[in-house]
Amino acid sequence: MSTFNLPDLGEGLTDAEIVAWHVAEGDHVVADEPLVSVETEKAVVEVPSPRSGYIKRLLGKTHERVKVGAPIVEFDEAPHADTGTVVGDLGAEKPSTPRTPAPAKPAPAKPAPAAAAVPVQGKVKASPAIRALAHQRGVDLTRITGSGPNGTITRADIERAGSASGGKLAVGQVALIGIRRSMAVNMAKAHAEVVPATVWDEADIGSWWTWHGDITVRLIRAIVAACAAVPILNSWYDGQAMTLQTFDRIDLGIAVDFEGGLIVPVVRDAAKRAPAALRAEVDRLKTAARARSLPIADLRNPTITLSNYGMLAGRQAALVVVPPQVAIIGSGRIFQQAVPREGPFMFTHLLPLSLTFDHRVATGGEAGRFLQTMIDDLQKNV
Amino acid sequence: MKSKEIAVKKIAAHFDINYTRYIDATGKPVQALPKDADKATLIALYHALVRTRTFDAKAVALQRTGRLGTYASSIGQEAVSIGAASAMRPDDIFIPSFREHGGQLWRGSTPTELFLYWGSDERGNYFAKAPYDFPNCVPVGSHAPHAAGVALALKLRNEPRAVVCVFGDGATSKGDVYEGMNFAGVWKLPVVFVISNNQWAISVPRNEQSAAQTLAQKAIAAGIPGEQVDGDDVVAVRAVVGAALERARKGEGAHVIEAVTYRLGDHTTADDASRYRKDSEVTPHWQEEPVKRLHQYLTTAGFWNKNDEDNLLKQVNAEIDAAAEAYLATPAPDPAVMFDYTYAKLPAELQAQKQAMLKSLLSARGRQAAE
Amino acid sequence: MTETTLVQAVNLALARAMTEDKRVIILGEDVGRDGGVFRATDGLYARFGAERVRDTPMSEAGIGGISVGLAAAGFKPVAEIQFTGFIFPVIDQINNHASRFRTRTHGHLSCPMVVRAPCGGGIHAPEHHSESPEAMFTNIPGLRVIIPSSPRRAYGLLLAAIRGSDPVVFMEPTKLYRGAREEMTDDGKALPVDRCFVLREGKDVTLVAWGAMVPEVLVTAAQWETKGVSAEVIDVATLKPLDAETIINSVKKTGRCVIVHEAPLTGGFGGEIAARVAEGAFSSLLAPIERVAGYDTVMPLPKLENIYLPDAARIGSAIERAMAYA
Repeated sequence: MSTFNLPDLGEGLTDAEIVAWHVAEGDHVVADEPLVSVETEKAVVEVPSPRSGYIKRLLGKTHERVKVGAPIVEFDEAPHADTGTVVGDLGAEKPSTPRTPAPAKPAPAKPAPAAAAVPVQGKVKASPAIRALAHQRGVDLTRITGSGPNGTITRADIERAGSASGGKLAVGQVALIGIRRSMAVNMAKAHAEVVPATVWDEADIGSWWTWHGDITVRLIRAIVAACAAVPILNSWYDGQAMTLQTFDRIDLGIAVDFEGGLIVPVVRDAAKRAPAALRAEVDRLKTAARARSLPIADLRNPTITLSNYGMLAGRQAALVVVPPQVAIIGSGRIFQQAVPREGPFMFTHLLPLSLTFDHRVATGGEAGRFLQTMIDDLQKNV
Repeated sequence: MKSKEIAVKKIAAHFDINYTRYIDATGKPVQALPKDADKATLIALYHALVRTRTFDAKAVALQRTGRLGTYASSIGQEAVSIGAASAMRPDDIFIPSFREHGGQLWRGSTPTELFLYWGSDERGNYFAKAPYDFPNCVPVGSHAPHAAGVALALKLRNEPRAVVCVFGDGATSKGDVYEGMNFAGVWKLPVVFVISNNQWAISVPRNEQSAAQTLAQKAIAAGIPGEQVDGDDVVAVRAVVGAALERARKGEGAHVIEAVTYRLGDHTTADDASRYRKDSEVTPHWQEEPVKRLHQYLTTAGFWNKNDEDNLLKQVNAEIDAAAEAYLATPAPDPAVMFDYTYAKLPAELQAQKQAMLKSLLSARGRQAAE
Repeated sequence: MTETTLVQAVNLALARAMTEDKRVIILGEDVGRDGGVFRATDGLYARFGAERVRDTPMSEAGIGGISVGLAAAGFKPVAEIQFTGFIFPVIDQINNHASRFRTRTHGHLSCPMVVRAPCGGGIHAPEHHSESPEAMFTNIPGLRVIIPSSPRRAYGLLLAAIRGSDPVVFMEPTKLYRGAREEMTDDGKALPVDRCFVLREGKDVTLVAWGAMVPEVLVTAAQWETKGVSAEVIDVATLKPLDAETIINSVKKTGRCVIVHEAPLTGGFGGEIAARVAEGAFSSLLAPIERVAGYDTVMPLPKLENIYLPDAARIGSAIERAMAYA
């Protein structure tokens, strides 16, 4: 039976007041164990359990009057879940969801310190202290051959490198620092490693182009489509190990020019963002880049890059692929041209596109197909 | 050994283990009660038994509703710690295991303090009204040598005080327990070891714990007297422990008392005893339990009536309910408390860790608030 | 393949070991009829009988010592200590006997025994039930110390431990007993106990952890991925003997190292790993080695437990600090 009724207390009594419960919901009880004390006119009586089992519900409150024959306790007929322990709480048999960590926000943005924007990807062998010294002296470790154990760079090596330039500058001569220095280092490295080839073409954007239109979002959309069609151009290549890692996700670097030089913030997961969100993110990154308030996390690890140099001048350009990326897309200055359209010539607007790729990894055919996919997307009127 | 020196047959040592009881399972006296077990004392003992049981039920109920941590119920064994505590003087020292709630309550710990302990708040580890008593000891039996050490301190200072140390049947298999008894024996220390033999060490029954006929006789190996008592007869426990304490205070050394009782509930609120023992085995022990037994004696003796029972239940329930409310209303402990008592004076490196912890807490709360 | 929790995986490994080798004996408090307080030995008493699945009196030092004797006399005892909070009386038997029998007797005697115990916090347990004493054991020569972080690794490593010839302390994170669950097969395949497991590849920072901190570290790594930081995650699993090479090679690649453990910071095993990394990957280091660990306080009671235990926020702060040294 799963409910237990207040038994006959004898002497013609019809009800009793609950004085105290001796068990709680969930308790395991055995037969004869006292469940509750009730008060009649004559006595305070302990009511024993009729059976062993688990208490599901207590059906009366302390000080309530209960009638003889009315249900006072409900027993649980369901099988009792095993706690699996004698202390604490392991959680139910279902796995506990991992504690949701407090979403960590990036550190409050500090102005990028000079030369700190250099993502050191090379295998320079230098101890932390030597790196600090090199940084202090403005010495480029990638240009030094180490003379220490296992080819590590020593203090003496730093001193020698420093004195090669005499340590003094001639009138009008400045040592590169900060972003310009990073660019010099990165471009030299790119030149040393990459085998670049460039394909140029134009997209007819007359169907949607207005003088006020901002083409960045359309360009990003076109790049997303092209990466889906020819994923190999959204990859990282390790020239030493000769391994290629192709990504599903597109972290698009967007070259931003400003008076200090060039900076390339990264739009994460560009394919997943809707146009309005893309626009907002691009604006945010550009503003922060110019204010020099971008956190390091927003500058790291792009999988492919876009340079919209045409905002200034230039039609076609052979750009620089920065390893480990294998491609960079350039968009040049939009110009008007008369083109034949089944008969009479019509004026339309053309957008020049340049795709420079690392020919160690991708073929001309792949580059061509990538570019064509971009063009097809850009030529859609919405 | 030369043939002439073959040992003469003799008894090198022998021992008896006495068993004491005053009131049987039906509530009937089997011998005259001790003189000091007068009506007022008996009523006070009954009050304590009911109060402890009510506290216990409330603790279990709080645990079931997620408001108390894992709890070890003392249901069925209340007479052991209450009997022992009631034989002690206020300035004696009580060193419990973790199932002596009744004894702690008798000696002045408040129900709220006990709720705090089981509610995982260290403010339940010391008691305003029982400042010398030790807090619960979780690693089983490891407090027996502590008890010997405290007793040694009392002896060295020539104080007429004694120690009562309580542990269970399982604990008697630990080396620490024998070592504590052995010290107490060889140094003649004023300590009474009370074995609360409830027949179960989680799932291991008494007969698989030790081949010894009684647990009390382990005292013989330590050279101290050992005896058994009916652990469900609070009058008997009080009498026997009281006598042992008298001897201890007179400098006559240590004692072991095995109080034979039964664990009517699970080992803890997370345990389920039906995994390893039949409910039908437990049922008859409900007929022997201490509260019912003393109630029966008092009623028959004309010392207790329905009104008394009614009033007591109402009073005790109100007190325990209020104590639970006070516990639930206690604000959470300050996180800094994790560090503050690590050393007498917090070393510099821990100061730094504490500041780092508080700072990361603050920023975590700030992040939460911002969301 | 069946979905299996970590404690079920332990149970499967024990059953298999008992089946394939009659010398294997399980002993401990409540391991028989009750199947162990965490059910690690559930069903084994019914299957293998009371002689080989032995409920012991309450006696940790005794359990340790008996295991030494059994092992030296040709059996393979797998002893369960109910909680690492109660393992301390066993250290005498482990340090003074189990780990040095082979050395002292030049191989005539040895102790192929496994001592299993649940460890770590996060289950809202009372005092003494949330300890992480693994560092103490790593200082004992001749001993193997293993802490799994997943059902498959618990299964494979426990099998290896039982089949092996050396004494092993095998600590099982209570939080993961039911908290970790994955598909696996009871195929009897052991895992190597001489190497770390690289659970996730990355190039910016190496995260090193064991036990219940491994899932926490994996969650943190996934979070930081979306911020453009690619983290490599290593589960040490076998703390002693330590496969430092895997960790060092990883830091040579990433240049940054964050070590995470529940046990208190000072004297914790993270210090040993940091020293090895500093020795072996010194010139690759871009940033100081970080440790995220429990504070140097007694493990607090459940109300303060979450403040004490390293979490994704604290691990993330360490990653952030390491990444700032671009």
